[in-house]
Amino acid sequence: MSKSYDEIRKKTMNGDVVVMTAQEFKEYVKANGVKKAAKDVDIVTTGTFGAMCSSGAYFNFGHSDPPIKMQKVWMDGIPAYAGLAAVDAYLGATELDDTNNMMHGGAHVIEDLVRGKAVRLKATAYGTDCYPKKEIDTYVSLKTVNQAVLLNVRNCYQNYAVATNSGSRTLYTYMGKLLPEYGNATYSSAGELSPLLNDPYYRSIGIGTRIFLGGAQGFVIWEGTQFNPGVPRTPAGVPKRAAGSIAVIGDLKQMSSEFLRGLTFTRYGTSLGLGIGIPIPILDEEMARACAITDDQIVTAMFDYSQPARSRTVLKEITYAELRSGEIELKGKHIPTSSLSSLYKARQISQILKSQIQKGEFMMERPVQSLPMDRVFKALDVRTEKEAM
Amino acid sequence: MKTKVVLNFSPEAANTPITHNLIAKHHLLVNILRAEIDEIGGKMVLELSGKADDIRKGIDYLKSNGVGVRPIKEGVRRDEDICTHCGMCVSICPTKALAFDSKTGKVTFTEEKCVACGVCIDACPPRAMEILI
Repeated sequence: MSKSYDEIRKKTMNGDVVVMTAQEFKEYVKANGVKKAAKDVDIVTTGTFGAMCSSGAYFNFGHSDPPIKMQKVWMDGIPAYAGLAAVDAYLGATELDDTNNMMHGGAHVIEDLVRGKAVRLKATAYGTDCYPKKEIDTYVSLKTVNQAVLLNVRNCYQNYAVATNSGSRTLYTYMGKLLPEYGNATYSSAGELSPLLNDPYYRSIGIGTRIFLGGAQGFVIWEGTQFNPGVPRTPAGVPKRAAGSIAVIGDLKQMSSEFLRGLTFTRYGTSLGLGIGIPIPILDEEMARACAITDDQIVTAMFDYSQPARSRTVLKEITYAELRSGEIELKGKHIPTSSLSSLYKARQISQILKSQIQKGEFMMERPVQSLPMDRVFKALDVRTEKEAM
Repeated sequence: MKTKVVLNFSPEAANTPITHNLIAKHHLLVNILRAEIDEIGGKMVLELSGKADDIRKGIDYLKSNGVGVRPIKEGVRRDEDICTHCGMCVSICPTKALAFDSKTGKVTFTEEKCVACGVCIDACPPRAMEILI
């Protein structure tokens, strides 16, 4: 028995769609089996909240009088990329000011704006006949700008590594503070609640999928950068390494600081803590089986971050159930674990998304194009012009 | 009873064996939670355990030796609005004052277990932890 997108959308419009959070659905399958679950349930809502570095927002500030063709732009002292038309700029989440102050980077400025704060905007220009003004120093907020759009090129990683540290000193990494001598291990995935782990072959998550993004509604617009679906997978098809990812877009003006946060990773830099939720239509039993996956069936790999190389050796493969237990075992040593991804917020997001769909406030979309299964993840080597061609 | 205090040392006081005297002469158990002190003075956070009367006498002794004494109720504070409950702090907290509750998905903070070591402060990505010294 299978359902179509149209049937599920129609049920949503009529208000009789059956929605479960990923957590509820897994329980339901355990109790009733995949067959019944596939028949009874229309949509499963997933969620994740974690550090998503490859994020940022673009703005159109409006024109000054006389007008300026902004060449260099700073928002609260953080440089924004202005190599676009006159008053457009893109502020990256990991951008820092010229003192490398990691307590307040691009991500924090984006959070400040979402909190309704005004941000100091400075711009300089060389001046042209049509844009004579050469500098401006003013304040902007989400109320004053024309567009404020979150546009992230790689979010929502499908699985991720576990980091630990065999060295003799504390490491400060994008995976957090790693204590020496295998003092701890950190991981960063919502595991069984994570969107792409519930749709391992991207059957329903594709270009045009409507998503919960930072408290607002947004869309998947492309594969995420470094999209790498060809990694080793479990017999059930779930990737055992960082695999797929998505590029997303959404209106910053509608977002909430509850699901969008500036983060500081000491001695590494800043990142954006972002909440994403994706509804997965239970079109058939195969989709139901994929969404029934639990933490004990999702495997990832642990790496030693004191190894300063592009390809680190896998120390051990491990499940999310083991990681969530708070302690893992490596070479006879018990290592305490930390998540960098908030399970609490992931659950909250899947719950909110469920209620929005039930109320008809959030309409699930059929993707207009699937994500490409043939992408490979290439490395950057120092090469000659000829070798690059 | 137990109490936590912040001590401010003048250069003179920094060169007196104050901790030793608290233990030997005032019969107190002294747990040094944090110390930033050299020959020109500094600060120390102590947890003093003993009889109420001995603690009072010990604090009087400190004051009479030019040490500024300020009692604190807690060494580390968590801003509940900023914490996202990710759990980064959980694996680095040496006393398990910060722990993960799998039922609620939240990170719990048990102040009584906290020794104000401060290791969580710079590990917290949204910067929800603050040390009160």
